[in-house]
Amino acid sequence: MAHHIEGSRNSCALHGALQVIEAIEGVVPVIHSTAGCGVQHFLGVNRLNAGSDRFGGPPVSNSNISEKHVVFGGSSRLREQLKNTVKIVEGDLYVIVTGCSTEMVGDDIPAMTKEGRDQDFQVIYANTPGFRGDVHQGYQLAVKALIEQLPALGKGEQSSVEGLVNIWGIVPHQDPFWAGNLEEIGRLLEGIGLKPNLLFGYDQGLSSWNRVPNAALNIVVSVWGDSPAMLLEERYGTPVLKLEGLPVGSAAGRFLQTVSDRLNLDLTHTENFIKSEEKRLNTYLASLADTYYRAGFQREFAFVGESSQVAGLSEFLTGTLGLIPRTLIITDNPPEYAREALLSRLTGLVEGYSTEVVFSEDHAEIIDQVRSGAAELVLGSALEEQVALALGVPFLQLSFPLSDKVVLSRGYSGYRGAAALLEDLGSAILSN
Amino acid sequence: MSLLKAKSSRTREKRLDTLNAWQGNVSAAVTEFSDGEPVKRIRTFSQSTQDDLLYALRLLAGIRNSVAVIHASRGCAAAGLFHQVSKGNGRWIVTNLDDRDTIMGADLKLRKAVKEVYLRYKPEVIFIVSSPIVAINNDDIQSVVEELHEELELDIVPIYVTGFASHHAVTGYDTTLHALLKYLAGRRGEHNKNNSVNLLSVAEHPDDLREVERLLSALGLELNILPDGASPAIFRKAAAARLSLSLDQDTGNYLGITLRDEYAVPYAEASRPIGINATGRWLAVAGKASGLNEAVQALHEQESGRVTKALENFSLKGVRVYLGLASATSFSVLGLVEELGGEVIGITVSRLDQLHKERLEELSARYPVLQIHVADGQPFEEANIIKRLSPDLYLGDSAHLGQIGRLGIPVVSLEETPVLGYNGVIALARRFSAALHNRTFGAALARTPLPYKESWFRRSPNWHIKKEVK
Repeated sequence: MAHHIEGSRNSCALHGALQVIEAIEGVVPVIHSTAGCGVQHFLGVNRLNAGSDRFGGPPVSNSNISEKHVVFGGSSRLREQLKNTVKIVEGDLYVIVTGCSTEMVGDDIPAMTKEGRDQDFQVIYANTPGFRGDVHQGYQLAVKALIEQLPALGKGEQSSVEGLVNIWGIVPHQDPFWAGNLEEIGRLLEGIGLKPNLLFGYDQGLSSWNRVPNAALNIVVSVWGDSPAMLLEERYGTPVLKLEGLPVGSAAGRFLQTVSDRLNLDLTHTENFIKSEEKRLNTYLASLADTYYRAGFQREFAFVGESSQVAGLSEFLTGTLGLIPRTLIITDNPPEYAREALLSRLTGLVEGYSTEVVFSEDHAEIIDQVRSGAAELVLGSALEEQVALALGVPFLQLSFPLSDKVVLSRGYSGYRGAAALLEDLGSAILSN
Repeated sequence: MSLLKAKSSRTREKRLDTLNAWQGNVSAAVTEFSDGEPVKRIRTFSQSTQDDLLYALRLLAGIRNSVAVIHASRGCAAAGLFHQVSKGNGRWIVTNLDDRDTIMGADLKLRKAVKEVYLRYKPEVIFIVSSPIVAINNDDIQSVVEELHEELELDIVPIYVTGFASHHAVTGYDTTLHALLKYLAGRRGEHNKNNSVNLLSVAEHPDDLREVERLLSALGLELNILPDGASPAIFRKAAAARLSLSLDQDTGNYLGITLRDEYAVPYAEASRPIGINATGRWLAVAGKASGLNEAVQALHEQESGRVTKALENFSLKGVRVYLGLASATSFSVLGLVEELGGEVIGITVSRLDQLHKERLEELSARYPVLQIHVADGQPFEEANIIKRLSPDLYLGDSAHLGQIGRLGIPVVSLEETPVLGYNGVIALARRFSAALHNRTFGAALARTPLPYKESWFRRSPNWHIKKEVK
């Protein structure tokens, strides 16, 4: 039985599905639920991620069911809403997503979708009531719907694309830096001669999604990418490469080597590319050295964020920047099977130092842990600002929700992300 | 019979014949509300809008020393996160109802959550906020409230919002205010009258509250400000006050009339104090009700002189303005635009009901053909209207200004801008002036198309508003 949560930052499955859909160009969500679900998403997700608003406001189609539909069923309301959405809202694909009320009432969503298809609407559906889970389940449900239902629309590309790789597991908006992180991973993969299929963000529309089955490899950046990758392995036999976290700094180099190995790429070319990236990063590190020593960068830190982010960024902070991981708090509720690996990796980041690793999304518990850890630097979300202030230590907002940042293209992955992290972390320390 | 006996307030549509979908000119609106109950309209295409749960969460986030237990699936609390992060208040937990709870009910879970949160924070009051799942399942919140009230010796206040029972989010304010009085204000007849004045402020900007406090304290009034920012004890005090003054009839009216009818606290209501004259009129109503006519007159003369000087020669002369605002705000901002010499060419209001009848009649006498559009969060209709009217300036307080901006017109947001009192005039004029002096951002936004098809703009804006078939 799911437990109550104080100050949850993981919202619900419907919102996670909306985050997926809103991050794909030309795809329009059609919410079949009570009126407030879309605004909840806008206030509780978009607005806490300044700069994440594709439509210029709350979701553009919502059936806003009323008491009558709760009592007598809302299918006819959905039929009408879908028909009119297709007439009014520009889109290549419409995705019906459901909320708690319409799922409890039992509206027949597959039947309504089929009716739409019979009228040549480009429409698919995902059942995403909030009682089915949080944003991460919503991400998985929406991605699964796209993978399973797009081929039936008959727009798939048959010709294979040499060196195409899909990237999974970065949940748009829940990772506030999703767009920048994806773009940097894409840049790196291009650097070694591959064609990255980012699937979300600028210029990523249905044609990217129709190419998914043709990929040579599915790269999984977080545990939330496991289920799409497994589904694609099952359906198309595509091999999977799982990363241990967001690749930052030298981890990105190792990631590129692994990919080259797996896909039999020209290793010399890859090595040369990595070398030039490493060289630039090393130059930045050297430029920073005086400030690093003077301002005392080498501190114990607390980090509150999603599993892939905490694992990836902490690896860079400890493995290159010499920081000490005091308290690491994972907020995205990774499934049990993934926890043990995370635990052993994160507790062993600095040999001989004992790091506290906690899995929690409960605000009260998180605050207690950060406070008792008494780190000298706090990295986390807006929710951790007060405790950092109380500890009197530098604080950097880099996980969801954000209150003091506008994020458009910034990211912390790869080599460029490592430099961005040095800048932001350094600025936080200097301005404290 | 006591008004507060009822489990909850009546919905706005039942109490005030409220409409949320309508378009026409002002004189037609007057007719609509004059010939008995207006015919309800519905939309055959709709966009996300606020609901009563959202308004309840917003109001509750402003009550001090409280914790809200949101009895819902996780996403119903997303707005709670917004209030917590953006305003820095409003502690909340969500019971996180899952698949099983939707079938079996979740009373035990609720009990456990309330107890744990009580032990952890020892708040003065705990709110239990209902939700669509709980409303559909008919979960028994009331017995949890009664049992734990006894056991914990704590005020526990159930807020029966549903997400679907009313088409009007503002019903959520009424529901919440009803519950706050019912559980926190005490029984009628048990209070000793005090000399304070209730200032009813549900959702005002902090600077606006400061401005109104400044003016009223200049008159020597002792204020209870509620519900926003109030501690639970204020509600009891408010029931014994000598007068209630509302800052916004749309949001504060239910609180005012319930304090009047239940506890015999006189209630004075005037249009929102937006603009020099409206502020003067609002203060005059406050002054009359508290016997301070002369002091008010002197204050108004002094302050309006100061504002006129501060405005220098700022004018909206020749500027055609469109308003997309909450209803009462819209009518008052219309007065301010006139005062500054501008012309309002159309308005979108979040709702129309019996409370607005008088204002509509006034307007109808002066501008019978002024277009009124009634919609909460339906930017597809608004964009269609605005494209036809092409105003020079748009003033709005909605979440979809990002779409209006793509029409290439200057936009000023009143959502987080102080608007009230004399200082509000100065602050607003400055925003208007900036928006009109440099229109480059609108021009840049206009390079991104709106999410709608071209064919939609050839349809009439009210194409999807239909009379409800019962």
